[in-house]
Amino acid sequence: MSHEYVPEIAVDREGKEHEVQGWQDDTYGGKLGFWLFMFTEVMMFGAMFLILTYYFSLHHQDFINASASLNRVLGGVNTVVLLFSALTMGLGLLKMRSGDVKGAKLMIWATILLAIVFLGIKAVEWTAEYQHGVFLGLEALQAGNEFSKPFGEILFFGMYFTMTGLHGFHIIIGIGIMLWLLKRINAGKVTPHHHILHFNIALYWDLVHLIWVFVFPYFYMIGAGDIAGVVNGH
Amino acid sequence: MDTNTNVNYKSEYAGYWKVLVGLLVLTAVTFVQPGMFLTDYTFAAQLIIGAIKAWMILMYYMHLKGEKLIGAMGVFSLFLVAVFFIIVIIDVNNFQFGDVSHITSPAK
Amino acid sequence: MSKSYFDETHCAIGHPKSTFMQWMLTVDHKRIGLMYAAVMFTFFFIAVATALAMRFELFAPGAQYMDGDTFNQAFTLHGVIMVFLFIIPGIPAVFGNIVMPLMIGAKDVSFPRLNWFTFWLYIVGCIVALSSLFNFSDGAFNFADTGWTFYAPYSLNTGTNVITTLVAAFILGMASILTGLNFLVTIHRLRAPGMDFFKMPLFVWGIYATAWIQLLATPVVGITLILAILEKFFGIGIFDPSKGGDPVLFQHLFWIYSHPAVYLMILPAFGIMSEIIPVFSRREVFGYRTIALSSASIAGIGYLVWGHHLYTSGMSDLAKTIFSFLTFFVAVPTGVKFYDWVATMYKGKIVLSTPMLWALGTMVTFAIGGLTGVTIAMVGVDIHLQDTYYTVAHFHYAILGGVVFLLFAGMHYWFPLITGKMYNETHAKIAFWLNFIGFNVLWFPMFIAGYLGMPRRYFDYLPEFQIYHQISFWGAIIFITGLAYMFYVLIQGWRKGESAGVNPWRATTLEWHLPTSPPPLENHTKVPYVDFNPYEYHHGEPVVKFDENMKRID
Repeated sequence: MSHEYVPEIAVDREGKEHEVQGWQDDTYGGKLGFWLFMFTEVMMFGAMFLILTYYFSLHHQDFINASASLNRVLGGVNTVVLLFSALTMGLGLLKMRSGDVKGAKLMIWATILLAIVFLGIKAVEWTAEYQHGVFLGLEALQAGNEFSKPFGEILFFGMYFTMTGLHGFHIIIGIGIMLWLLKRINAGKVTPHHHILHFNIALYWDLVHLIWVFVFPYFYMIGAGDIAGVVNGH
Repeated sequence: MDTNTNVNYKSEYAGYWKVLVGLLVLTAVTFVQPGMFLTDYTFAAQLIIGAIKAWMILMYYMHLKGEKLIGAMGVFSLFLVAVFFIIVIIDVNNFQFGDVSHITSPAK
Repeated sequence: MSKSYFDETHCAIGHPKSTFMQWMLTVDHKRIGLMYAAVMFTFFFIAVATALAMRFELFAPGAQYMDGDTFNQAFTLHGVIMVFLFIIPGIPAVFGNIVMPLMIGAKDVSFPRLNWFTFWLYIVGCIVALSSLFNFSDGAFNFADTGWTFYAPYSLNTGTNVITTLVAAFILGMASILTGLNFLVTIHRLRAPGMDFFKMPLFVWGIYATAWIQLLATPVVGITLILAILEKFFGIGIFDPSKGGDPVLFQHLFWIYSHPAVYLMILPAFGIMSEIIPVFSRREVFGYRTIALSSASIAGIGYLVWGHHLYTSGMSDLAKTIFSFLTFFVAVPTGVKFYDWVATMYKGKIVLSTPMLWALGTMVTFAIGGLTGVTIAMVGVDIHLQDTYYTVAHFHYAILGGVVFLLFAGMHYWFPLITGKMYNETHAKIAFWLNFIGFNVLWFPMFIAGYLGMPRRYFDYLPEFQIYHQISFWGAIIFITGLAYMFYVLIQGWRKGESAGVNPWRATTLEWHLPTSPPPLENHTKVPYVDFNPYEYHHGEPVVKFDENMKRID
């Protein structure tokens, strides 16, 4: 908002002056609001993990079998990609706060690049699974036909595609808002003095990473009974 | 507020790299764990590693350290999720018709 | 004449010249609240009309005007509109927007543009909901016929337009989340200097507790609806027993939100009650802290009781027992509030103006609604009474007789604040009595019918229940007459009423200390320093007074 905003002063009965917090220029308010939004994401993914845990307890062996068939190498590479993207995002914010706008923009571009790499690997992974006949809507994941997988595996893959898909959707949104952030920086609306938007987008990106920190082991690692499985993937 | 420009890039960025190294090590541990230790409790071990990683990200990358109000709100949200888990777990563990249920044993 | 918020506004995009565009793009919390009210009440009357159509059908046994399928769609339409479009945005969207920032001395909510966006998200949700109504197949209405709860697996198999309705509910849920988020930050950040949490008016406490429910419970139902949508598109199987899914899990997740949602509806309503009772008793509210904290604890306990909707759905006996106990606990803070209100009135100088009448009427109707709720919280009794008219009557006594009545009370209470005019007291009181009598005649027979075994959601019934349905029908006629009359009185008051002045009720909270009536664009001329309690009366007169610069002069 306008940078010239001057907070109002309230005067009490003794004549002492108290600064009034307006909605303008409320950095802490912006941060608080964004954290509250992230709690809604926590509740959303929390509910999905609840579903996942419930079916895991019902169909233990099916889940482990299904998990063992996922490609752990690609999943692991994606984990590392996200790790580095979190770093570039953090360093970008740091550069912004220390006054290096150009460096900050470079770091945001790096983050976008890593996000695209993540999506690319994800696409390779899903394509391979599709070719194995495992994908939403394919016969293997429907009931009552000759290709039908057991209940536990249907549910595992149903949740797998839903949750990694939703996570991927968050990545796409993240790329979108990072491009928007770059536009705002170029327009001079986000500056070292006024970087709440950058701060919140960095928080968002860390949240996306945070979700992956739990999604990854829950889907990829529970069936990793031996080192060989790690190397061989499928 | 913290719209200051006094942040010194040189003195702060090392912290980010240190956290990154920690996270990379933990990711590596994630991969070797199923064959090395707690092999019978892979699920629990994985989630504990995940929790440690999450804690590091929250504290250092998301600057939650020192944020009392936001931290308390976060604990409240996680507490609610935990309550949902506990109640549903109690319900499922004491479900008395599991043996005749269609969904607990495959139809075919 | 000084300019009010009707004359000028801030806009989200640019500075449009036309009045219409100024309203469409406004970020002013008062205007947004008014627009919410306009849209919500439009839908309210659509849903009332649907209910009346069902009453006509139920006037006699057998099919009269509609067949069973149409009836199913009618009660789904009624439920979806009333719940998702009317009562969930409800009091927070209208009075939370208009009054809450005024009460804490803020110029606007924390994120005015987000507030504008939220309103339009709500409108989008409404349009999507309506679009599923007008998607005809074979020349007939094809609205969802699942009931507003969308229980799996029926909702996954039915051929009606469930998907669009689910999408609509999801979008409306997002709007609700963003409203709660905005209010939480507003209450945390924008309170006037000196106003700590225990100097806030109790309505703000109600909004605060509500906002937490909106924020943390709604995402759970949001994801549940998404999973149901994915189930319909891709057959992911999560709730479909033919693929190993558990329909009871759907009910768990649905009620994890939807039970707290009824506290989301009632808490701000209790807040309105806590405003009206001290003002019209001219007495400081009794047990301020207990009312404030009981709001918080109702919200907290409210998260833990969802399972009482699942007593007959196939839950474990142990879980039923736990939920039954937890449900009783909700009655405790509610009871505390009731006693506090009664104690506030004791030895007060009670003024029986229309808002007070509505509040007192609600104490009767909500007491019935609340206590019957305790009876069906018991597992044994509930197995007999669930899915009967007893439950329907309980729900409507609690939500219509509690929330909506208090919404009306708030409408009468804040009417002079919002419009600057006063309605005709005599006519408003007649309207109240019509509503109150009609309401009780409409719903009370249903307790008896339900107790005797009349199942809910049936379009036909045994002849022995005819008498109850016919009494209900006449009650509905009186009630709807009362509703129409009430709105007529209010609209007439707005058009032709006398100017009310800034503080017609001699109330003490900050929203009655504005410089002009109706309020100017940016609310108080100066933000006051708050070193007083919200309801300070001395011998029936407000203690705290301000000069034109909002400095205390008492």
